[in-house]
Amino acid sequence: MPLTPETLTRHELVGLQTRVVESTNPDSVGIGGRVVDETMRTLVIEGDRVRRVPKQGTTFEFALPRTDEAADAEKASGTTFELPSETAGRTGQSDGCEDVAYVTVDGTRLLSRPALRTEKAGVSIWR
Amino acid sequence: MGIAAERIDRLATLAREAVTAGETDRARRYVRLARRIAERNRLTLPRSFRRFTCDACDAYLRPGRNARVRLADGHVVVRCDCGATARYPYE
Repeated sequence: MPLTPETLTRHELVGLQTRVVESTNPDSVGIGGRVVDETMRTLVIEGDRVRRVPKQGTTFEFALPRTDEAADAEKASGTTFELPSETAGRTGQSDGCEDVAYVTVDGTRLLSRPALRTEKAGVSIWR
Repeated sequence: MGIAAERIDRLATLAREAVTAGETDRARRYVRLARRIAERNRLTLPRSFRRFTCDACDAYLRPGRNARVRLADGHVVVRCDCGATARYPYE
């Protein structure tokens, strides 16, 4: 399962480029950079300096590099994805960069322990 | 490859890059997270991951940087900067 807008909330966020587009804290709007760490309630973003941003009340815009594999899955996902995220939507190519998909995600959807986020959809394997 | 396996893959790469950049503690976080994901999803970690991480302190090992590698009779000895050694057989 490649990293696509549909799987983003269950996939690895560390290493992705991100930007805070909306927040209850006006000072954190505009923080951007690379995600370097994740905890249950925060993301650590390294831009010009390292900042820890709460997930709650923050909307992030992730830049997903588009690979061939992801593009194939994108086509297929039109009919098959079972858990569409209401708040995750493509905002198009805002930076003029090719081969990058921008995905906005409500941080509340990411509230989970980093290792457990992958398991949140579907049936538990621990039944 | 499932999401979990892919996350482990990405974390291994990230840990390697972090060690190269001198961020050993950050690499440690990635290694611990990868181990936890494998545990939760009942996956076997790739052999390269097992060989290049320290069982004792979770550091991602780069021989020459934070690990010493010796060859002994029938086995490889990898000693982490933390002092822990790991031995692997070879033919």
